[in-house]
Amino acid sequence: MYSAGSDAFKSDHSDGVKKTSFDHTLMPPCQDACPLHMEIREYVDLIAQGRVMEALQVIRDGNPFPSICAHVCTAPCETACRRGQVDNPVAIRALKRFAVEFGGDRMIQLEAETRHEERTAIVGSGPAGLSAAYYLRRLGYPVTIFEAYSEPGGMLRVGIPKYRLPGEILDTEVQRLIQMGVEIRTNTPVVSLDLLFDMGYKAVFVTVGAHQGLRLGIEGEESPGVVDGATFLREVNLGFKPSIGERIAVVGGGNVAIDAARTALRLGAREVRILYRRSREEMPADPAEIEQAIEEGVEILFLATPTKIAGEDRQLGLTCIRMELGEPDASGRRRPTPIQGSEFNMGIDTVITAIGQAPQIPGDFRLRIGRGSTIQVDPITLTTNRVGVFAGGDAITGPASVVQALATGREAASRIDDYLQHRYPLVSKDEKEALAGELLPKTIEMIRKLTRFEPLTVSPEARVKEFELVELVYDWESAINEARRCLRCGMGAEILFQDKCATCLTCLRVCPYHVPYLDDSGTIQIPADQCQACGICVAECPAKAIVLRKPQDRRQIDEELDHVLKSAAQAKSKPLIIGFSCQYGLYGTGALASLWRGAKAGIWIVPVLCVAKIETEHILQAFEMGAEGVFIAGCGQEQCAREDTAFWALQRMEKAKKVLAQIGLEPQRLQAFNLYADGEDPATALDKFTERIGEFYLASAIKQEVKT
Amino acid sequence: MIVAEQKPLEEIRRLIAPYEKVLILGCGTCMTVCGAGGEREGSLLHSALRVAQTRGGDEAHNFLEYTVKRQCDFEFLDMLEDRVGEVDAILSLGCGIGVQVIAERFPDIPVLPGVNTSFMGASKELGVWDERCAACGECRLDETGGICPITRCVKGILNGPCAGSKSGKCEVSSDIDCAWVLIYERLERLGQLEKMRRYYPPRNFRTIPRPRRIVSKADIDLGGNDG
Repeated sequence: MYSAGSDAFKSDHSDGVKKTSFDHTLMPPCQDACPLHMEIREYVDLIAQGRVMEALQVIRDGNPFPSICAHVCTAPCETACRRGQVDNPVAIRALKRFAVEFGGDRMIQLEAETRHEERTAIVGSGPAGLSAAYYLRRLGYPVTIFEAYSEPGGMLRVGIPKYRLPGEILDTEVQRLIQMGVEIRTNTPVVSLDLLFDMGYKAVFVTVGAHQGLRLGIEGEESPGVVDGATFLREVNLGFKPSIGERIAVVGGGNVAIDAARTALRLGAREVRILYRRSREEMPADPAEIEQAIEEGVEILFLATPTKIAGEDRQLGLTCIRMELGEPDASGRRRPTPIQGSEFNMGIDTVITAIGQAPQIPGDFRLRIGRGSTIQVDPITLTTNRVGVFAGGDAITGPASVVQALATGREAASRIDDYLQHRYPLVSKDEKEALAGELLPKTIEMIRKLTRFEPLTVSPEARVKEFELVELVYDWESAINEARRCLRCGMGAEILFQDKCATCLTCLRVCPYHVPYLDDSGTIQIPADQCQACGICVAECPAKAIVLRKPQDRRQIDEELDHVLKSAAQAKSKPLIIGFSCQYGLYGTGALASLWRGAKAGIWIVPVLCVAKIETEHILQAFEMGAEGVFIAGCGQEQCAREDTAFWALQRMEKAKKVLAQIGLEPQRLQAFNLYADGEDPATALDKFTERIGEFYLASAIKQEVKT
Repeated sequence: MIVAEQKPLEEIRRLIAPYEKVLILGCGTCMTVCGAGGEREGSLLHSALRVAQTRGGDEAHNFLEYTVKRQCDFEFLDMLEDRVGEVDAILSLGCGIGVQVIAERFPDIPVLPGVNTSFMGASKELGVWDERCAACGECRLDETGGICPITRCVKGILNGPCAGSKSGKCEVSSDIDCAWVLIYERLERLGQLEKMRRYYPPRNFRTIPRPRRIVSKADIDLGGNDG
């Protein structure tokens, strides 16, 4: 069982002592961009090795509700992903969904124990509220959530259509919170915060969201048949089937507009038009969602805006005007201005306005309200003008993303903890330095271009008939191949022992990406923002001055080899064969499985993270410890996500063969397998190899016999 | 840079045979750069010797492994003081100079050469080294366009090319460029072809009086008044 009880969560400042570690990895752009600062590089790497359950563990460590983010995250990480500078960003959200579904997230149960007496109240059960509840519970506080609607989830429930986030997903996460001991009171709108304090709550987190649709401010907006997007989506999501007719106009260009349009289609509307006053370039909605909406038959009229609504319910006449783009405004987008005399009319049954939303804070809360009807808070401590009242989420920012809300929720939990424990709020600082800098053109040129695998989607014809999920989860192979596209930013090589460096220029010459360079003072530099972490220079440096930034990467082969040799010694199987096998791609799962003959067959696998990291010493060490045969199994030059890896693995193998020959061991005891090569099936090739090693072993045993 | 090549494993095994505890000592300068005896080569040799020992050899050695920045200066060797006490021999992966300085620094411990010091040269590309200098002590590279006929001409002649030069290659091997053709081309490029037309008297081929020594410090007498 995954326990969330005792371990304080990451951003906490438990003892204020900075851990000394030899982890020199830099924070990659994806993690830096993620409001939750999730260890994206780590879990993507684990997925690339087929270690899905461990990937899920990493995801759960950094995200209270991974399954929700896996479906609806706006994925700022993908925007920041440097693979985008090469071809297309890594499909991180889809990978997370793969890990959540294949890693067994549904089976995970959470527990939390109560360690504090102070009761905390959360007003609103949206993502920020749920997240705060999760973390407050982990910190050991009794938590009660008050929700005005009939079901918990806030915008997750009433704002996001079910075809993007199925209700069951949200139910599972809510259920887990209840299991952790969070009390959720639905149908309980809070009218006064004083009442909560009277009830004995010591701290209140106000996270009521931004549900109030903004008005167009045009004539006829009050007509029946005009509804705002938030209200429309809420009604549909809560199970009402509003009758909207067949001809729908949606006004706006954000995600709510797209959601409303696609929802309208699913309710049976025949003609759905979105009116957006700017052009597609400025449209704030997620481009993939726009694309999907268009596929489903939504028509988008760009550079158009309504000016007047006339007529009665189901017989609305919508007057619109064409726009043109002028000078950029404060938001940096070009300001649309109406083109005189370009009015046109359309007959519409229902108009859905989705031009933005604002929070609606009850006056009795006595909270100071700022710009855009949001609650004014201290951005660091999330405190309001009232003692013991904290606020977060859309209520303080206006409409934002789910992941942003989850992050504020986590932050709020920390700050409430500080407040209740009478501690000066120590704002958590990132332990790692963020990787800065763009990839240079010469590096980009050498990085292998790998097509992004898009998850499959249900056909547009089928999906508009129902509210089922549009996007499907990856299959095993696509997920692993997609994860292999990660550039592993910030975990590359560094010259750890500058005093050892003889400036021999080996690294500069072996690097497939032209990363190392001589600076003006004649010192070799390996810029962290360019290194692709292939490990070739590390194994080639004649001074052993270069290491990989991640401690685990440095020790991995040594440790695995050590482990295998110990186990093999216990098993006493003869002849012993040791195989260094790449864990990336399908080796971790598919093809490798056929090589894994187990202890009985005497074949032991040392998992390696790319064959380029195997050093000649590793091979010799295997022979020293009693291996009769050693093989290396990995991708060929063509299949590896990186350059030159197979070449260098073979170079080192040749070096080892030379040593073997000088000792009087047959060089054929060492063989490389390219599991993707055409022709012989690797399993058959391995059988042949095993047979040959058996013969060598027998021959040497006889020789030994004769000698004695 | 000094270029060397590690001795065959078999020879090294023969060298160390009489000694039980052997310190494999790498050198962090030229031997690292030419890939004959830096820290990596040292640990590789260490592994190879251990494989040899476990696979059928009768030997029973104990190996230590260490690399100093430079073996050709006492000060770098001083830090070995504590380690060498317990070893029976030092297998040096330094050049011939290193081996000798070690012998001088640790007079009671046998020192064995692990590499064959080959020449002074430059790396042509990764993993390929070419000889460039013979340390003849009378450099005339200004006259030959920066290309040394002593090391790069098979015969080392001072007035070339000879009749064995064919299409820019040496008659000895088509892999060897004719040094004198290279010299000609380079002088032509520099507009100094008149240097080709000169006759260079034979070098003084008498044996270089060895050992040579260079003293760069002035001899100062602190006893009296200067001038």
